[in-house]
Amino acid sequence: MQHSHEHDHGDHQHPAAPMVDEITDFEVLEIAVRELAIEKGLFTAEEHRRFTEWAEQIGPAAGSRLVAKAWTDPAFKARLLDDAVAACREIGVDWTEPTGSGTPSDYMNLRVLEDTPTLHHVVVCTLCSCYPRPLLGHSPYWYRSPNYRRRIVRWPRAVLTEFGLNLPSEVEVRVEDSNQKCRFMVLPVRPAGTENWTEEELAEIVTRDCMIGVALPGPSRKSDDIRPVHKASRPVPGDHQRAEAGK
Amino acid sequence: MSGDSAQPPAAPARARPADTAPIPLLEGIRNEDKTWEKLAPRYGVTNPDPPWKVSLYATCECLAAGAALPALERRHAEDQLGESVYSGTPAPEQQLLALAHIMLSRGLLSEDDLTRRMHAVRSRLEAS
Amino acid sequence: MESNDAKTVPARFNVGDRVRVRDLPNLFYTRTQMYVRGVSGTIAARTYEDLIPEDEAWNRDEAPREQYYIVRFRQKDLWEDYPFDNDTLQTEFPDRWLEPVSG
Repeated sequence: MQHSHEHDHGDHQHPAAPMVDEITDFEVLEIAVRELAIEKGLFTAEEHRRFTEWAEQIGPAAGSRLVAKAWTDPAFKARLLDDAVAACREIGVDWTEPTGSGTPSDYMNLRVLEDTPTLHHVVVCTLCSCYPRPLLGHSPYWYRSPNYRRRIVRWPRAVLTEFGLNLPSEVEVRVEDSNQKCRFMVLPVRPAGTENWTEEELAEIVTRDCMIGVALPGPSRKSDDIRPVHKASRPVPGDHQRAEAGK
Repeated sequence: MSGDSAQPPAAPARARPADTAPIPLLEGIRNEDKTWEKLAPRYGVTNPDPPWKVSLYATCECLAAGAALPALERRHAEDQLGESVYSGTPAPEQQLLALAHIMLSRGLLSEDDLTRRMHAVRSRLEAS
Repeated sequence: MESNDAKTVPARFNVGDRVRVRDLPNLFYTRTQMYVRGVSGTIAARTYEDLIPEDEAWNRDEAPREQYYIVRFRQKDLWEDYPFDNDTLQTEFPDRWLEPVSG
């Protein structure tokens, strides 16, 4: 029953959003420089992911509030898993805007994928870039790239590692290829250390990447941080402290 | 993105002149001239920036945050390289070539390592 | 999307059923990926009824609607030598792209 394991490059003939479907040496150079810098310990893949997310983010996503409410209100979580479009209305997100029946690329079939300690979801659209825009805004550049779309279905753990996320092999990694009209958002596991937090505080740690499934929320990271900050490996006086003070 | 502006203006960048001697590996990439402004219209893409631009930005920020390559020094060298070796190259590609150039000339990367890694990355991206 | 009185093809599958993805010829447009063709999986959810992409692409609004399903595959069934036993992949199909797997 094994068919030929040719990877799906077949989307070229389909009218997906146009892409520069050619791997240039500029693209390769950017990746190579970054990877070597990470291997030399100049920074980590996770730090790079956070800077990228921060640079692209327009503000805390509506999805963050959805996740925080599901974490604090079990009845809401049940409604969210049952009918996510209806549950979105409770936090003021109406999937029918602006056309009344969902915009052509957003449709009206949202499903929330609940992570557990032994199950981790990650979302992709291998055909183009279907994405839950009413909740997460526009998709990030890498989500649309052939690199992510082709490789996450085939080598999910390797790609997640490139985002700085290493999952133990006991955790089932489940890739959701959003190829039709359903749209997907990940409901991550509420992290330890957030027991007495309010819904508002919780929403701040649920960043976009956590809801795509390429990162996990943690108690020390917030989506509205002025900028990601980490300990300098070779500190220079002033630099790190000033960034902290800028908060 | 004005993230750079959050950097302290302190530590007057000791205006170390950049090494502007051409680097063969980077010359090859530059001469291919597969810049975004040329490729995008060919594929009907309207996004003004190449998809890797934000990742390059993040790499520069990470290098500065970790103090491996302070932002002011980088931009000073970028300016010098942009006016010399890479003067004919449009902005995002120029910044990328300049970053690689600076890292090579400062010994943060070696040309051999970078060449090998580029081969490895390409075969990974083209793998099926 | 109008949902007037268009006909609906009877749904053939339920959650838990074993199904195989058919390897139909691509008629100008499909959203069924090459990498799942001929592979067996399990129905994980019934989602909605709608036109199939092959009709929708040609604005055949009067065409019959079909049930869509999310199917769960073991990664090991999709890719030879996939190293992690538990990992899975889900994706979605209209009824006609699936066939029952006996046993």
